[in-house]
Amino acid sequence: MGHEFLSIYSAKLLEYTLAISYLLLFIPFWKYVQGGKRAEATVPAVAKRPAVQVARPAGAVAPRAAAGWFQVPAGVHLHPGHTWARLEADGLVSVGVDDFAHKLVGPARVELPALGEKVAQGEPALEIGDEERLVPMLSPVDGTVVAVNAAARERQDGLDDPYGAGWLFKVKAPRLAANLRQLLTDGPARRFVEDAGEALALRMNPELAHVLQDGGTPIHGIGRALAGDEWERLARQYFLT
Amino acid sequence: MASASAGAVSAPQSFVREKILLGKTFREYVRSCCTPVNAVAALILAIGIPLIVIRFAAGLGATTNLSQTAPWGIWIGFDMMTGIVLAAGGFTIGATVQLFGLKEYHPIERAAILTAFLGYIMAIAGLLADLGRPWNMVMIFASYGTASALFEVAWCVVCYSSVLFLEFTIPFFEWVGWKKVHSVMKKALIALTVLSVMFSTMHQSALGSLFLLAPTKLHPLWYSPFIFIFFFLTAVIAGISMVIVESSISHKVFHSQIAGQHVDVDKLTLGLGKAGALVMFAYFFLKLQGVIDGHAWGYLRTGYGAWFLVEIVGFVLVPALLYAYGSRNGKVKIVRIGGVMGVLGIVLNRLNVSVIAFNWNQPVRYVPSWMEVWVSITLVTIGVLLFRWIVNRMPILREDPRFAEAHH
Amino acid sequence: MRIGRRGFMKVAAVTAGAAGAVSAGAASAASEGSDGPGVLVDTTLCVGCRACEAACSEKNKLPAPPEDAKVMLQRRDTAPQVFTVVNRAENANGTVRFAKKQCMHCIAPGCASACPVRAMDKLPTGPVVYDASKCMGCRYCMIACPFDVPKYEYNALAPRVRKCTFCADRQAKGLKPACTEVCPSGALTFGGRAELLEEAKRRIYTNPGKYSSHIFGEREAGGTSWMYLTDPDTDLAKLALRTDVPEKEIPSLVSGALSAPPFVMTLWPPLLMGLYVFSRRRDEAEKAGAEKEDHHG
Repeated sequence: MGHEFLSIYSAKLLEYTLAISYLLLFIPFWKYVQGGKRAEATVPAVAKRPAVQVARPAGAVAPRAAAGWFQVPAGVHLHPGHTWARLEADGLVSVGVDDFAHKLVGPARVELPALGEKVAQGEPALEIGDEERLVPMLSPVDGTVVAVNAAARERQDGLDDPYGAGWLFKVKAPRLAANLRQLLTDGPARRFVEDAGEALALRMNPELAHVLQDGGTPIHGIGRALAGDEWERLARQYFLT
Repeated sequence: MASASAGAVSAPQSFVREKILLGKTFREYVRSCCTPVNAVAALILAIGIPLIVIRFAAGLGATTNLSQTAPWGIWIGFDMMTGIVLAAGGFTIGATVQLFGLKEYHPIERAAILTAFLGYIMAIAGLLADLGRPWNMVMIFASYGTASALFEVAWCVVCYSSVLFLEFTIPFFEWVGWKKVHSVMKKALIALTVLSVMFSTMHQSALGSLFLLAPTKLHPLWYSPFIFIFFFLTAVIAGISMVIVESSISHKVFHSQIAGQHVDVDKLTLGLGKAGALVMFAYFFLKLQGVIDGHAWGYLRTGYGAWFLVEIVGFVLVPALLYAYGSRNGKVKIVRIGGVMGVLGIVLNRLNVSVIAFNWNQPVRYVPSWMEVWVSITLVTIGVLLFRWIVNRMPILREDPRFAEAHH
Repeated sequence: MRIGRRGFMKVAAVTAGAAGAVSAGAASAASEGSDGPGVLVDTTLCVGCRACEAACSEKNKLPAPPEDAKVMLQRRDTAPQVFTVVNRAENANGTVRFAKKQCMHCIAPGCASACPVRAMDKLPTGPVVYDASKCMGCRYCMIACPFDVPKYEYNALAPRVRKCTFCADRQAKGLKPACTEVCPSGALTFGGRAELLEEAKRRIYTNPGKYSSHIFGEREAGGTSWMYLTDPDTDLAKLALRTDVPEKEIPSLVSGALSAPPFVMTLWPPLLMGLYVFSRRRDEAEKAGAEKEDHHG
């Protein structure tokens, strides 16, 4: 490509002019792109969480982690009886029932321990059920009950958002470290819930289990759907009571 | 139902039934495949596959419009060059997650790598269709034309496809449950990612270097000694844009898989849009610099000049601004439109360089035959079908809980 | 350090000598390949008998070219079965000129540098030859050739690239290429390229006004083995030769970009691993900070 020598000067002039213009434009462009409100993580929640911002303690992490059908957020310590414990920012331990239990029982009422009552890990501490029957569930930690979630007790949908607004009661747990060693978190917790889900699915329909690996979430009140009046026996099986 | 004892599992499903047929019986599965989308795909393949057979039975002259003045057509310009550039998402997202440490992009990483892997397979398929003596492809391993940019392209594509294949084995081993091999491969992922960035840099730019030796044949607005830098940058742009487009589609089509996963594709899309805005903005100016460096600004007033401006203004600058506006204001839809335009812009660039602006000064210009176009569409369809088949079965968009670990 | 005037002269001399050696070494490929074979085509002597076409087709076992001279009224190009053609054009002043088109056998051939498997290769003796047994059929050589010489057998099931071979096998036996052997008018002269270049210049100087001072092929594409003399009014482009060929060697246009891969292979791993370590350290620092907060809570 033979350029005439003299045309190099005009070309170079154009090049440097363009480069300087680009630099001058780049600064505002960068600022424009980086500016704007930080895009909030609009998490597509499975359950509505209107109160989460207020109720969510500082130490909790945004729920993630798939467990097939049932969720187990990070930071939550799971008891094999499908209750959970979580250390909060104020030093107390929140206790609730997990998503599996929530979905198994469906809309329900709970009987919670009284303030000041002592609970022990692995011992029945609360009851969950419908108008007719209640099924006991085990406490995940040792401790003294210092707070109770009235909303959960009063309303039918109080258990929605089982890890957030659906917390049941708070305890002061003197032996938390030892208790936590008995509980599941993260991967093992998810696997545990996943297995429970699969076992449940197999009950529903041996073939369905494998189809649903591609999707389809179970609805509330599976226990009743599966076993009708026998749901209590099914629930007790899972809740270890 | 109470008779079913707790924990009892019915007779173990066969591997084929569980893994391949998605748990359905063969009849159920076939029935579930009768969808309108599949009908269209079947129509495309019903014509395309025989065409490919004809191409090999009757030769290039019978099926293509290639000529002595147009040795490269759309099988090179589109299937190979565009296929390779649109598969660049594999190394861009891989680097983003593994090397830049932005783990929040992990949910889309595997899909990007799968897209890249299938894209390269389709590019190689297109190449096989185009080569006159494809059985001599192995000569690349015996006789080394190291002075050739095409030699570098060939070797790097071979190496990079191997790296992609190895990266793909990670979800594959999860699918079949081979834990030991899986953990070995998982450990190798960092090294594989470094290699993938390295090989990608080399061959994406080498695809541009291919045209360096034809200064009198490629239109001066597109020809530049820096064309290899342009090709590398457009590969990055294509990677970002393609991942935006592909993840949007995947997460809608395969919604059932990611339900409950709390993968915020929107947030990732906005992040990618931000990166894309900056790279495309710089690339636009770089293209102008290339024109000035080549003393070719006079051509801007011609028909080809207008077309050049369509490419860089309409399909580089405009999507860059869309990305900027969308990512800044949290408007995901705008970013997605920018993504589509970005992909189209890169496709246009590759077609321009290899077919449209190539041999621009010849009296008779090349127009692809309908058979060439149909074969190209067939190859793309096969790629999409493979993508869907794999995503429906293997843990690409979702975690396999047996292999799930604590993510941070 | 005191060098003194004599020392200075020594240093200067050595430097100048070195610079001279370097520049001589970097001298155009034209002088490097100048001791290879060449052909001087004097278009002022060509009468358009097309004996060269016939000899070429006979030697290469190609179909015989059409006998009727009327074919020259159309522009013809080489083809998969036609290695050379003679084209005809009329000057502005009515003179009829002919020129033979065939592979130019460049000193630094673009096609050979482009071939990824060296199916197109330049023999040390000069001719640029094709080996179909290595060829993949990528047709990159056709892209590379600035003279548009190689042609492809699109209609064959095992297509080959086709072009003039400079009768490399005949040259190996000490014979001249077939076309130069039969040329009756002396338009084609086979010999060493350097000598032919001198001969061309001699003809130009000793026949002022008869020839154009531009020898086509002297510097085109860095210099070709086949060189053309024309009269000042003849435009070789009208005679189907591509004249928009740059003087740079085709391979040199690529060699700069091709030297990048080894650099990338060397630099990228430490750069990327450094990035990885940096980002991991940053993540750990963030996590440590977050954990500290947790403990306080």
